[in-house]
This record gives sequence, structure tokens and C-alpha cells, in this order.
Amino acid sequence: MENTSYDIRQINEKIHQASSFVDLLNMEINKVIVGQKYMVERLMIGLLAQGHVLLEGVPGLAKTLSIKSLSSAIDAKFSRIQFTPDLLPADVVGTMIYNQQRNEFMVRKGPIFANFILADEINRAPAKVQSALLEAMQEKQVTIGDTTFKLEEPFLVLATQNPIEQEGTYTLPEAQVDRFMLKVVIGYPTKEEERHIIRQNLAPEGQAKISPVVRPEEILEARKLVRQVYMDEKIEQYILDVVFATRNPEDYKLGKLKPLIAYGGSPRASINLALASKAYAFTKRRGYVIPEDVRSVCFDVMRHRVGLTYEAEAENVTSENILSEILNAVEVP
Amino acid sequence: MKSIKNIFTTVLLCCIFAGARAQDKEEPVQYEDYFKVTAKADTTRIRIGESVKVDLTAKVMLYALKGANIKVIFPNIPDSSNHIELVERTQLDTTGSNDNQRIWRQTVTFTSFDSGRWELPPMKFEVYSVTDGSYDSVFTDPIFIDVSTVAVDTTKAFKPIKPLRVVGFNWLDYWFLILGGFLLITAIVLYFTMWRNRKKAPKPLPVVPSKSPFERAVEALDKLEKEQPWQTDVKGYYTSLTDVLRNYFEQQFNIPAMEQTTAELMDDIKPVTILNQQRNEIYAVLSLADLAKFAKLQPSPQEHEDSLRKARAVVEWTRASALPKTEQPAIGTNS
Repeated sequence: MENTSYDIRQINEKIHQASSFVDLLNMEINKVIVGQKYMVERLMIGLLAQGHVLLEGVPGLAKTLSIKSLSSAIDAKFSRIQFTPDLLPADVVGTMIYNQQRNEFMVRKGPIFANFILADEINRAPAKVQSALLEAMQEKQVTIGDTTFKLEEPFLVLATQNPIEQEGTYTLPEAQVDRFMLKVVIGYPTKEEERHIIRQNLAPEGQAKISPVVRPEEILEARKLVRQVYMDEKIEQYILDVVFATRNPEDYKLGKLKPLIAYGGSPRASINLALASKAYAFTKRRGYVIPEDVRSVCFDVMRHRVGLTYEAEAENVTSENILSEILNAVEVP
Repeated sequence: MKSIKNIFTTVLLCCIFAGARAQDKEEPVQYEDYFKVTAKADTTRIRIGESVKVDLTAKVMLYALKGANIKVIFPNIPDSSNHIELVERTQLDTTGSNDNQRIWRQTVTFTSFDSGRWELPPMKFEVYSVTDGSYDSVFTDPIFIDVSTVAVDTTKAFKPIKPLRVVGFNWLDYWFLILGGFLLITAIVLYFTMWRNRKKAPKPLPVVPSKSPFERAVEALDKLEKEQPWQTDVKGYYTSLTDVLRNYFEQQFNIPAMEQTTAELMDDIKPVTILNQQRNEIYAVLSLADLAKFAKLQPSPQEHEDSLRKARAVVEWTRASALPKTEQPAIGTNS
């Protein structure tokens, strides 16, 4: 259906009203989290765009706390799975247990049956456990024995991982990484922010408590609106250009990147880039997407979808370097 | 009869003598029979400082030893003795040894710096039997060396010291340098000849833009004004308008405007003072264009013309920096 300028104005108005909870959520989370605005903003995008988020950073950067805070601020079911090397798939999704009294097998649902799943230190578990999340993340359903269970909406996996160089970590399989809409790399807070963190943690009254300020229905409503955000065909073309440049860089006068890229972004990358751009526009209370939105979320959507060759790794070229080159070469509409 | 008696007597004596000789051979072996040493000088007449080479040889006849194991010790010669100086001693040389005899040779060089007749005393060679521990020594014959000095006629006056003798120049002494130089020069000449005759890549013709970015921008704006595309395609009009401005910024101010968003472009024009002075106008045009391009905004006809006017104002404002240097008015001259 073709949007007219009148429709967009209507969407704009709706977004202005519906996005008010974004400020509420931010305020509530900021009671506990100091700084890390970028991370909180990305969590919000994941929440609105129905995309799972992977947070990467060294221990102690409030990754887990941010996710817990976000979950606490939404009146929804939350469960946390601490990934360890001895975790089993059944510990995540659940299993069949024999009931002696009834003389039958019964389903024992795992912690995946919640609205918000915090998969803490996901890369400390072996690949088979990580893969157990696959069906749940993509299909939003879980199969235990012969029965398939639909997961309750909103369903969002927010995972944290330590950098690969850390001791006792396993690399996430490409198939699973691709299921995360955003991979957000967290940095250290600034000096001033850290000063606040110390004061807040040592305050005599203890840490502030987060109360639920948003209902899951509001999130679901907002998600519908995010999908209605207008994206012009020029923006679509821009997204396609960026994703295709990761696959065929030589078509964009970036032949020098060809030997550095093992594989480019999948169609899922294009979908997620478009969706995340819309969610970003929503958080900025806009009913339409502009190129800034695409560029803002591009690194988080694409960095885990661009495979690097050994040559690139030998030259210390990162996927961020490649994406920067691409964004500097592809014409903005 | 008397002659027969004489013959008989002679034969008898010969037999007795021969018997006596045979008895001699049965006597125990003496060292001098199987161990012989010699010292032989190459000359016995030298001038002061000249050298005399003395070959010392020790020869042992193995057949007489009957399996005994012996060692030969060569003489111990002092560095200086009886006006004779020891210069050099070679290593022992056993060349010539075979199953019957064993030979050791050594050459000793002597010299003397005193005129006169000097004796190189007999040198003692020692022979020592490892088998039974017996020991004996044998001496060489002494050698007399006449050392003469240069004859000086004392009746004549002293002659001056001769000047340095100049060695005559000979081209052959420097043949390798001459050959090397010749080869080097040949190589250099060949290299330069080849370098000059190399296939020169065709020089790319300098791309001279027919018009300056300023002229092209003005021309494009004129065209937009004339065609008034906003009448039919508003989005296309704003796309063209922003493309004109961004192309102009890219070509004139080296800002990669075509690959930047409005916000990034506004950041990048900050250091360019002449553009920054017009940042409000630029932002107004670009932000309105963004709305028209991405949010289906339909600006009023007045806004279309305003945008065009603002874009033209920005381009005109930067005219001074856009013109070639020679055309710019001189600032601060007294003329």
C-alpha cells in the first residue's frame, strides 16, 4: 500500500504518543545504570524491532545489570540462564520427566519459557547448548519430546558474551550469531560516569529499585507501529547497497576489500538493518526513516554478519574497519 | 817351491782375516750401526744477517732393532749461542720412511750479526728404547760458518743518504682497475641507453574540466529554475537540488558530501569557514529536502523556490573561493 504524506503525518502523531514509554523506560533504567546510553538505546531498538541482542564486552561493564534492569522495568516474565561449560540443552529448553504416580512422562519447561531471557555469558557454553536456543530465537517456539510450545510474546533473548580472547570461551556458531539482530560492543564508561557509579554503589541507602513502568501490551503495540514507520525506496536502495557492498565490494569500487571478506551480509542482514532503522527512527519519534538511522544502526546490525578471511585477521582488519570503508564509499540518497 | 809356500801363506792369512771379519758381525748391535744423524748446512759463508739453513736428519734402520720400540729426540737448540741466532725451526718431516728405515727431517734456520768464523757446535740426538729403557745419544759434526761484513773503504768520505727511489709508472700494474672501470662505464652507458629508449607509457592527458565546479553548480541551478521540476516531481526536484549542492561541496571543498548524511555534512562544513557562514541556509535546504525525499512531505510552491534561492545564495557566497586564484581580487595591496 502506497503511503501518502497524510499517512506519514498520522504515523508521526501516533509515534509521538506511543513512544512516550521510551522515555519512561530510559528514566527507570537510568536509576541503576550510569552512562552506557548507547547500550540502553540498542536494547530499546532490540525490544521494539523484535530482535535479539548480543552484548559483548569485558566483565564488569553492567551488561547483565542493564538487561535485568530493562526486564524489571517491563511488567513481564524474566528468566536468567547462566551459561557454563557443563550446561545441557535440556537445562535451557526443558525436558520430559517420568511421573511415577501418573505413570507417564510430563513436560518440565525450561527457563526459556519467559518474555525476557538473559543468556548470561552465552559463549561459555559449548555449541550444542547455544544451538538449543536457535529454534526458540528464530521460530519463537520450543519442541520438547513430540510437543511444540509457542513462546509467549514479547519474547526477547538478550545475551552477553565476553570477548573471544577471554579464557574458557567458545565461539558462537555463525548460524546462531546471525539470529541476533544486533551485536553491541560495550566500551568502558568515562571518568565522570565511573565516579557516579562508585557513588551510587556506595550510597548508604543502597541501589535504587526498578519498578515496572511499561506493560507488555504497550511493547507489542509499539512493535506494530515500528513496522508502520515509513521507509522510502531510496532508503531501501541504500540498505541494499550497503549489504551488497559486503558481498560484492568490487561493484562499489572497493575491490581492495574483496580478499578481506569471507562472506557478506545475508538477506537477514538486510531485513534486520531495515527493521532496526525503523526502530531507531521510532526512538527518535519520527514516522519515517532517514539515512542517519541506517548509518546509526549499521555497525551493530552488520558487524557480526561480515565474515573475515585469515588475511584480514592477519592484518588486524576488523569487520568495523570494513563497514567504515563501505559506508564511506556508498552514496547516501 | 818357495812361491807355492808364499801362496799358501797368503791364502791362510786371507782365511784368518775372513774368519776374524765373520766373528766381528756376530758382535752385539751398536747404536751407530742403525741410528745415523747428519747436520748439513746449505752454505757456510754468509754476510751479516743472512740466513743459513741446516737440514737435520735422523735415520733409524728398522731391521736392526728386532722389534724394539724406540723414540728419537731431536737436539735442543738455544735461541742464541756462540754469535749464532736461531731464526726458525720447521716441523718434523717423516717423508721417505718405509718398512726398512724411518727418517725424520727438520730444517733449522740460523743467522749471525757478528762477523767472524763461528762454530755451530755438535748437536745431540737422543735415542730412547721404550722396550727395554736403554738410552743413548749421537752427535752431529760441528759446522763452521764464516760471517763476513761489508767491506768499507774508510779512506773515502761519507756519502749522503740516497733520495727515495721513484718506481716508474706501468699501466699493467693497474690492469684490473682499468678493466673494472671500463666495465662499469659500459654498464652505466648501456643502462642509460636502454632507459632512454624504453617504451614510454603514454602520458595521460590532463583532464581539464571544461567548467569549474562553481560554474557547473550555477548552470545546474539555472536549469532547475528554468525547468521547474517541482511542478511534476517534488521528490525528484529535491533530490536534484541536494545533489547539485553536495556535488559542488565535494568538488570544490573536497568534502565527501555524496557519501554523507545531512548531519555528517553539517559537521564536516564546520572547518570550512566560508561554508560555515552559510550553515543555516544549507541546513534549511538539506533538512527540507530530507523530508521531501524520505517523508513524502509536500512543501509549498513558495518553499520550492525558497530552497532554490537559498541553494543559489550558498553557491554565490562561496564564489570567491571557487574562482581560480588569478581571478581573485588582491587583498591588502596598496595599489
